[in-house]
Amino acid sequence: MYSLNNRLLTAASALLLAFFALTVLALDAAFKDTGLRGMEDVLDARIITLLAVAEPGEGDSLVIPPDLPEARLSHPGSGLYARLTDGAGREIWRSPSSVGSSVDYGPLPAVGEHYTQESRLGQDAKVLTHSFAIEWEFADGTVRPFVFAVAESLDSYYAQIGRFRQQMMGWFLLLWLLMLLALALLLRWGLRPVRRIATEIVAVEQGARDDLGTGYPRELEGVRRNMNGLIASQRDRLRRYRDALGDLAHSLKTPLAILRSQTESSREPDFTVLRDQVSRMDEIVSYQLKRAAAAGRGGLGEKPLDVGEVLAGLQGALGKVYADKNIGIKVELEGKPLFFGDRGDLTEIVGNLLDNACKWCTAEVRIEASSLDEAETNRKRGLRLLIDDDGPGVAAELEAKILERGGRASSDVEGQGIGLAVVREIVAGYRGNVGFSRSPLGGARVTVTLPGGA
Amino acid sequence: MRLLVVEDEQALRSTLAEQFADQGFIVDAAGDGVEGLYFATEYPIDLAIVDLGLPELPGMELIRRMRAAGKTCPVLILTARGQWQEKVEGLQAGADDYVVKPFHFEEVLARVQALLRRSGGWADAVLRSGTVSLDTRSQQVSVGGENVDLTSFEYRMLECLMLSAGKVMSKAELTDRLYNQDFERDSNTIEVFIRRLRKKLDPDNMLQPIETLRGRGYRWNLEKSA
Repeated sequence: MYSLNNRLLTAASALLLAFFALTVLALDAAFKDTGLRGMEDVLDARIITLLAVAEPGEGDSLVIPPDLPEARLSHPGSGLYARLTDGAGREIWRSPSSVGSSVDYGPLPAVGEHYTQESRLGQDAKVLTHSFAIEWEFADGTVRPFVFAVAESLDSYYAQIGRFRQQMMGWFLLLWLLMLLALALLLRWGLRPVRRIATEIVAVEQGARDDLGTGYPRELEGVRRNMNGLIASQRDRLRRYRDALGDLAHSLKTPLAILRSQTESSREPDFTVLRDQVSRMDEIVSYQLKRAAAAGRGGLGEKPLDVGEVLAGLQGALGKVYADKNIGIKVELEGKPLFFGDRGDLTEIVGNLLDNACKWCTAEVRIEASSLDEAETNRKRGLRLLIDDDGPGVAAELEAKILERGGRASSDVEGQGIGLAVVREIVAGYRGNVGFSRSPLGGARVTVTLPGGA
Repeated sequence: MRLLVVEDEQALRSTLAEQFADQGFIVDAAGDGVEGLYFATEYPIDLAIVDLGLPELPGMELIRRMRAAGKTCPVLILTARGQWQEKVEGLQAGADDYVVKPFHFEEVLARVQALLRRSGGWADAVLRSGTVSLDTRSQQVSVGGENVDLTSFEYRMLECLMLSAGKVMSKAELTDRLYNQDFERDSNTIEVFIRRLRKKLDPDNMLQPIETLRGRGYRWNLEKSA
């Protein structure tokens, strides 16, 4: 398993390493260049001093007096060498220090020009040579070219560079390690909220916490909110399952007791009673099943549902089911209402209410859907549904429902029929409500309000 | 009328088949979707009862394939869960009505009769045509207000003819709808029963409700009245 921390550290250390390597190369090159240029200047000065001591000799030539301005030129192997040649490269003079070693001064420069090069001296010594060509005007007026050349050992220069490199590498290595350490601390601090979320989720899983706490950075606030929504809806669902299961078991006890007493009595069982109890149990099971199946508000950003599409599906379906009754089912949409929730839930709400309306209406059923405007704090918008019919009206319908259920109104669904009870249950899960009033069509109007989520 | 029952629960399938047979239907029963599709496409069925939770081929898919194969007969779905989402999907797949399990047989029968009536273009449970009226619920037949006493076979034959009023029913089609497959077919019996039916409905030969089309079959000839 990879860790965010390790990933960032590895990437940063590689990046730093590359950056430092480039810096070292650049510094090294710059240092070397500056060093060579400095030596060149020194060699230039030495040529000037040689020039100063040179005197015209016999036969239009030059002579360097033995008393040299630089002592190192007199000691063999001192590392400083000099030579004087005429314009054709014939040697006129060579410093006593050159005894036993031949320096390659390179090609002769043109008059008035310099020539500098690095060349080998023996096996492993290196020298920097510098030549300068001049024209000497003798007393008789003749002008002749001469080339002054000096060479200086690069040993100390290279030793200096080596020392510089060593020091630089040392410092950069130290710097690199320090930066990595700082970065590791920084990451530890920066990623602390992420670790906190993980720990808190574990705590929620173990039941030690109810939800994720507050005080998360802005970037994680959305995650926290969604996570809490998910946890809440999960818990809600669990509670509903548990309730449904409990209610189911509880409400099945009575009909079961009746069935048992019927089968255990010595008389012939009364089949109407058996049949009644079986259908009562069927009602109980289907009600609790539907109640438990409601998905409820999901918490995570659900894909908004096109309400018009769901209504059109139900319109077609109910049109088929009630084909005999010749009902005009009208769907009216205000704009393009959306529902942020489960498709099954919306279908169940509208299906039950429309079914009811179709059952009671004379010839006309109308459903109207519109978006609810919410305060700006709510990101999601709510939904309002109006279901109208031209039947006998609310009171009559509810009364008839109770009669239909054979006076067992109190047993489990409060006398509104399973469909309506299921609708109430689902709508409550979305923190909405269901209201009844008189419809302009003459019958009942059911108003369902589903507010937007937080 | 010929009915197809596709239900994987053996007990429920045989109970339904028996009960419908008792009501005078010819019933084909299939235990899975593939078999169901075979029956639906190969047999001249008038209506299919399809459970949604079927092995091999789900009920929803069976209906879709039936419709794709050009079968227009009404389809009644049986659903155990009873959720609207499922009902809507089933009806959109091509079913015409639904019944939620568990159900009373009377309810299924009423839905089946209503669907058959509707597919024959009849709006009411009582089929009225000229002076003849046939109540599909009580299986009572009357002519000009007078009850006519029909045997079960005669009633079923009349129902078949009236439900497809205006259309020609060949002898083979009538046989398919009135006899089980393994019944020995004798087209003469159809002629005999048609004659008897005519005699009972129209003793004076005034109405002539059943027309014989030579070599093609029979047709219910009276106008439907609302």
